[in-house]
Amino acid sequence: MRTWLPVLRDRRRYMAFELDSENKIQSGDLAREIYTSQTSLLGDFGASKTKLQLISFDGRFGIIRCTHKHIEEAKVVLTTVRAVRGTRATMRVRGISGTIKAATEKYIPQSILHIDENERRIDLEQVSGFIVRIRGQEVDIYPDDRSITKESDTKYVGLTSFDLCGGDINADGTSNGL
Amino acid sequence: MSYYECNIHAFPDGSDSASRLALVAKRLGYSGIIISNHTTFGKVFAADAVEHVKDIEVTWGTELVAKNPRDLRLRTNALRNQVEFLTVHGGLEKINRAACEDPQVDLLVHPQMDGRFLGVVAAKTARDNQVAIGLDLSPMFYLRGGFRIRWMKTVNRDLALIRKFDLNLMITTCAKSHFDLKSPKDITTMAKLLGLEEEEVKEALSFPKTILELNRKRWVCPGVELL
Repeated sequence: MRTWLPVLRDRRRYMAFELDSENKIQSGDLAREIYTSQTSLLGDFGASKTKLQLISFDGRFGIIRCTHKHIEEAKVVLTTVRAVRGTRATMRVRGISGTIKAATEKYIPQSILHIDENERRIDLEQVSGFIVRIRGQEVDIYPDDRSITKESDTKYVGLTSFDLCGGDINADGTSNGL
Repeated sequence: MSYYECNIHAFPDGSDSASRLALVAKRLGYSGIIISNHTTFGKVFAADAVEHVKDIEVTWGTELVAKNPRDLRLRTNALRNQVEFLTVHGGLEKINRAACEDPQVDLLVHPQMDGRFLGVVAAKTARDNQVAIGLDLSPMFYLRGGFRIRWMKTVNRDLALIRKFDLNLMITTCAKSHFDLKSPKDITTMAKLLGLEEEEVKEALSFPKTILELNRKRWVCPGVELL
């Protein structure tokens, strides 16, 4: 005897998302944060209908499951995640698919993240600090003066390589200013 | 349709430089952003670097934080010709009212701060002076529990007023870093949860473009354009 009939199984959707965060985030912490923001926004009743479940998460991209009738609610729950265990983060839905395979192939690219280990410094008029990481043209800086990011409640100052062109005394003269 | 994010704070108001915000906004699918810093107008960090970010229109505006209506009036008169987009930081009832009475103001943002709401009189004057109302969606993700419930209630009241008087609506997240920037799709789903229709949201997200085009023309007096 089968435990459940396949025709009665609820239809699922898999959401591929991207997590943009200041530090590395464990998947357990992320799952907990998603559940808290889910119950906060939808309540226990709504949460039981949406059935959110974190399937996989590799530090940047991940897949989350929900029922096909409650995609809108599930999306809003993901956008309401503001911080995970005190680390500022934001979740962006990349796409929705009917199977895990399709969601992975379509929406999850190869992660290109370069963590800067040389601790290079940036000294400009308005901001100075260490380069934390570089992703393409985006540069995150850990400022010496922590009070400048107090208003926006973040840890790092987000800049681009365009900002650093010419202004840095220690720049090694490459075209992108790094 | 071209979407605009109409209220962004760059470094030193927020924690991200203008070019970083432009880069992230472009990736999220915006065709333009309006950077409106509070008090640090003209002192934005690395403002020239924005030009290197292609395919996105960056406009410089300002968000006025006034103590009283008189202060607001003086500063709108002084700043109007210097900026392309003039926003007023709402919240106090007096300021909301004074901003709605001034035709030079483009946008009154988050009038429903701290549980206060727009009010019928302010809504009527906003219609007469064509001041747009900015719905700030950031409390949706930074408030939790009772505070968020109270905020949702006031927003619902204000949306009813906005519909009743057919006011111009703009939707923003008042981003202070790239974490606060949400894609137009995410904004649509959030706004739909608050009771807005999809068409209304699309219109609200592309409305800043219309205002910018109007502001770029040279006006001699209301209704007379210098060609």
